[in-house]
Amino acid sequence: MTKPIIEVKNLAKHFGDNQVLKDITEQVNPGQVIVVIGPSGGGKSTFLRCLNLLEHPSSGEVDFAGEDLTTLDDKRVNELREQMGMVFQGFNLFPNMTVLENIKLAPMKVKHVDDATATKQAHELLKQVNLDDHADAFPTSLSGGQAQRVAIARALAMDPKVMLFDEPTSALDPEMVGEVLNVMQELAKQGMTMVVVTHEMGFAKSVADRVWFMADGYIQENNTPDEFFSNPQTDRAKDFLSKILM
Amino acid sequence: MKKRLVLFLALMLTLVTGVSALTTTTASAASDNSLAKVQKKGTLVMGTSPDYPPYEFQATVHGKTKIVGMDVAVGQKIAKDLGVKLVVKSMSFDSLLVALQTGKVDMVISGMNPTPARRKNVDFTHTYYQGGYSIVINKSDKGIYKDKDSFVGKTIGAQTGSTMYNESKKQTSGTTVKGMTSVSDLILALQSHKIQGVAMEKPSAQAYVANNKELAAIPSHFDLSASDTSASAAFAKGSTSLVKAANKSVDQIKKQDLVNKDYLPAAGKYLKTNTVNTSMLHYWKAFLTGVEYTLIITVCSVFFGFILGVLLSLARMARGGVFKTALRWLATAYVEFIRGTPMMVQVMFVYFGLGLIVNLPALTSGIIAISLNSGAYIAEYIRGGINSVDDGQTEAARSLGMSSGATMRYVVLPQALKNIWPSLGNEFITLIKDSSIVSIIGVSELIFQSNIVRSDTYRGVAPIAVIMVIYFVLTFTASRLLNYFERRMQHD
Ligand SMILES: Nc1ncnc2c1ncn2[C@@H]1O[C@H](COP(=O)(O)OP(=O)(O)OP(=O)(O)O)[C@@H](O)[C@H]1O
Ligand SMILES: [Mg+2]
Repeated sequence: MTKPIIEVKNLAKHFGDNQVLKDITEQVNPGQVIVVIGPSGGGKSTFLRCLNLLEHPSSGEVDFAGEDLTTLDDKRVNELREQMGMVFQGFNLFPNMTVLENIKLAPMKVKHVDDATATKQAHELLKQVNLDDHADAFPTSLSGGQAQRVAIARALAMDPKVMLFDEPTSALDPEMVGEVLNVMQELAKQGMTMVVVTHEMGFAKSVADRVWFMADGYIQENNTPDEFFSNPQTDRAKDFLSKILM
Repeated sequence: MKKRLVLFLALMLTLVTGVSALTTTTASAASDNSLAKVQKKGTLVMGTSPDYPPYEFQATVHGKTKIVGMDVAVGQKIAKDLGVKLVVKSMSFDSLLVALQTGKVDMVISGMNPTPARRKNVDFTHTYYQGGYSIVINKSDKGIYKDKDSFVGKTIGAQTGSTMYNESKKQTSGTTVKGMTSVSDLILALQSHKIQGVAMEKPSAQAYVANNKELAAIPSHFDLSASDTSASAAFAKGSTSLVKAANKSVDQIKKQDLVNKDYLPAAGKYLKTNTVNTSMLHYWKAFLTGVEYTLIITVCSVFFGFILGVLLSLARMARGGVFKTALRWLATAYVEFIRGTPMMVQVMFVYFGLGLIVNLPALTSGIIAISLNSGAYIAEYIRGGINSVDDGQTEAARSLGMSSGATMRYVVLPQALKNIWPSLGNEFITLIKDSSIVSIIGVSELIFQSNIVRSDTYRGVAPIAVIMVIYFVLTFTASRLLNYFERRMQHD
């Protein structure tokens, strides 16, 4: 048995009276691709943000490579966050920097990589997402699909062990969804460990190792994509699937 | 005698006296080493307000501006007799006594009348000059007015808060008394027939008449005690040995009538050279100095204010821990306090209040005070700018492993600054104008310089018009430049 890279134990999170995550215990093994699906407002984003401590859990444990993030000091949390790349629905590129500078910033300021090395690495990553010709462009001049691919390259620049995606294609025009999913699929093939929140069922079916169905603050089902889509166990999942597959 | 008493100045004086009483008087009363101290230094610093010819005013001597006048001659005599060098420091009349009490100057000679109220705070020498009052009128009215009693139904002007002003009110009936802060303004009002006479001291009246053919002087016939029209040199309270030494010089001056024989004629000569050429172009150097100082103050204050503003805004946003909470409260209190008190008071407080602890030059004090003030405002702009940056930016940076400090420095602040650039530009332009406040502590910026040119040339409006144009050119150029940079930033 390989050791899990992420282990969540009895995770709970509430905002005031709003109990968003109730009791979640799951694990992610190295190289696995997990797709998290579920109804809107079910806590998927909150869950993902608890994994890299952008949101601090109310109780429970989030272990990354054997260390419980919730007990660590800021410095160590920052170090571990490097190893978890995150891609947001709204891209969140830095608008005052060029594409190249966006990618180089963290390696240079956090890992203190020298400029030449960082530039070289950034160009390689841009080639990987097919955008090397846009290296000197500013984010505002990019299409949504291009911006999201830059965001993926930026996260990969820190050489992460895990990539977290929060609805990376939801803000895109339909014709651009494909180019982003292709990049993600490519990543998965290379063996990257990924946790992806998405509504793209096609991606879930073809790429995911496991599907986690999340609703009402719990992971209601944890299954292979084939099993989950052909034979959902809970009424909650059946209801959800009937709505989106209509 | 000049006796302008702005309310808060009185307050300031009491405050500073109170504080200095606690800290210094005990020491100085016990052992008076004032004379020894001055002699050891080798210099006697005299404070004066050089806008009051022929007592003290600025003149251009061999292309250099210098403070001259009969009071300076008196100061020179005292210094010479003490065997030290005289250093003349100029500042507004209102600030003189505070400067004396806080040790910024050793002595004040500025046509000052030793009133009982002033005697409470400082020590005076014997009288070195006994003046009297005249009324200046338009020459064309010469047959109409004879003395103070001929102005029934008319208006007499006098410097606000001065002895002349109070006596004019008391000793005339049926006459309106109009107060203005500066004598130049009063003369202007006289010449435009807004008022019919200006009550002022005899030597001043003589100087005005000598330099302006349109004017004439008539006796005032005010009923005054001798002490109301006398001028004395002031020293810090308790400096008995120094006063005693100065009195020797003053007595000599009196005995030999040096003021009337030597000092006043000499001052008259300077006045003549001054007024030979009263074109504003002739005074370009004075205005240039003004521009220089205004820009120095503005640029330095914006620079330091900006640094302070960044620190304050970060402190105001600190969260968590007792220490951070305390920091936040402190920063908030500071910002609120600065924004809730007038900049003028802050300038006075830094110069005179801090002056009790460290002796800072006026320019430095001015820059410190305005930076402290500006920092509070800039902090609020920056805080607004930081809040306007999308949270997603912070999250993206943190998810890449950047610390909160690095995130602030490399991601949030640059964007925040770009957002608030226009506000910062406005602050800069406001400061070009507001820096004029430091004229009250004698920094020779534009307003201060224009007042000096006004009193030197006896021209009321021209210097104001000149600095108005200069201010406009400065602010307009600044705003064009800022716009240019703003547009360049937008291209990114
Ligand atoms: N910072 C916050 N403060 C208060 N409430 C929050 C916060 N973040 C999320 N919530 C609440 O938590 C609940 C779950 O939100 P979350 O964004 O995690 O859901 P989601 O499953 O990602 O939904 P969606 O599909 O719309 O993205 C919502 O009711 C939301 O209002
Ligand atoms: Mg979400």
